[in-house]
Amino acid sequence: MAITAIPYIIERDFKRFFRYKWWLAGMISMNLADLFIMALVYTKMIKFDYFKFFAPGITVTALFAAAFMIGREVNWEVRRDYYYYLLSLPVEHWELALGRVLSGALRGMVYMFPLLLIDFAFLGVPPPLEVLIIFLMLFLLSLGISGLSIMIAVSTNSFEKFAVMRGVTYYVLFFCSTVFYPLDLIKSISEQGIIPPFLAVLAEVNPLSNAADLIRSFLLANPPFNITLIIPIITFSLPITLVSSLAYAKILRRQR
Amino acid sequence: MREILYVVERDVKMFLNHKILLFMRALWFVAQISLFGLIASRMVVVPNYFEYYAAGITITILYSTAVFIGYDIYEEAEHGIVEYLLSLPISRKKLAIGRSIGGGLRSFIYVAPLMGIVLALIGIRNPINFLLAFVSLFLFAFGVAGMSITIAMGIKSADKFDILMGALDALIVRLSTVMYPKVFMQQANLLYSEIANFNPLTFASELLRWGAGIEQYLTFGPITSVLVIISFFSLFTLIGIIFYERRLEGGGWQ
Repeated sequence: MAITAIPYIIERDFKRFFRYKWWLAGMISMNLADLFIMALVYTKMIKFDYFKFFAPGITVTALFAAAFMIGREVNWEVRRDYYYYLLSLPVEHWELALGRVLSGALRGMVYMFPLLLIDFAFLGVPPPLEVLIIFLMLFLLSLGISGLSIMIAVSTNSFEKFAVMRGVTYYVLFFCSTVFYPLDLIKSISEQGIIPPFLAVLAEVNPLSNAADLIRSFLLANPPFNITLIIPIITFSLPITLVSSLAYAKILRRQR
Repeated sequence: MREILYVVERDVKMFLNHKILLFMRALWFVAQISLFGLIASRMVVVPNYFEYYAAGITITILYSTAVFIGYDIYEEAEHGIVEYLLSLPISRKKLAIGRSIGGGLRSFIYVAPLMGIVLALIGIRNPINFLLAFVSLFLFAFGVAGMSITIAMGIKSADKFDILMGALDALIVRLSTVMYPKVFMQQANLLYSEIANFNPLTFASELLRWGAGIEQYLTFGPITSVLVIISFFSLFTLIGIIFYERRLEGGGWQ
């Protein structure tokens, strides 16, 4: 009984996800417009093929946005005392916690998948082992993002505080990453003193950067594949998944 | 006149109540300029791209805040506040005019300090040009508010409205010269640059750049841009007012 409850939690969260039609439509339009309009025009303004560079970046961005969405729902549940209903279900607390983190991660993967297919269509399909590594790492990243958003969501009862924390996390992880620009450029700008050095360090250890560069390394061979691309994703995701599950379960108990 | 001012005042106050939204928009603006703008300007082969981009992003935020009046009107219809508004001793026409003015004015009040920061960074080379551009951008904000009111009153499904606004927001910014000069849009895809020729954001961003003295990549003369902005303002403010007024009659918003 215990194990079988998780698929139900995932099913429920998926149904809710597809109810956000407007959000999905807006996000899809934004992602496609970024890729097929903005990146194509930037390609003409930059010395390298920006479209190819940006395609893996937008895939990771989409994964982030969709996986992060679960936090919004969890925060709503915390604010509205909806957890009483959840606690009334014949589900263990740890199942509920793990189920929520997992469903957030799977939602990210499902939303990201068509964009990854676009990457493969335009940049080429890597060998099966590399495809497997990409999927595995993206799933780990998605778990970490889902966990991070749940951690933020349960840390406050105030929607205002949650919205600010969510926004700051978004902007820091998006803009201080290699999603939009190469790491070498960020480092060189930091060395020139144009941006503070910690931003370059942040971009280097940012799991979004490493996930985007991992896809690039297999699809574009630039940057070359290196185990250091994987380590930050694992060190970010596994502890956060664990801590967020514990935090969510603790909040459920505390509220009761 | 006083009644219109009350409506405008209410809309401005309602807008300022969205503190978190306004804070997040300002944060987005700062991140766009201080991170994306700075780094991208070192990535592209376009001289003075930072100034170009900063001016464009100012127009983006002006647009996105002016459009917000449509969401407010939609929420009012959903929450039954329209009935309350109709019970007030204000004529439909004055209410509609007030909403249109309020929608544009509040976005301008919000964007003005941000615009001031951008101008402090990029400078103003000709104050008279800038003054003309500033007035035109005021009209642009009213036009966008009118456009948003028209869409909000024309679509009855909340889902459809959100989807349309999301898609419009994604496309209208990217298919304009807000982020990149038209010559590069032409090289990327002729269709993109053709669409940009009819996009009000193109003319608004060109005017702000002209006003600030960033004239390197202007594709339209200032007179053309001013005329287009005036036409955009006149058309959508008029349509917005007429549409809003008509929809208010007989429960047309429901």
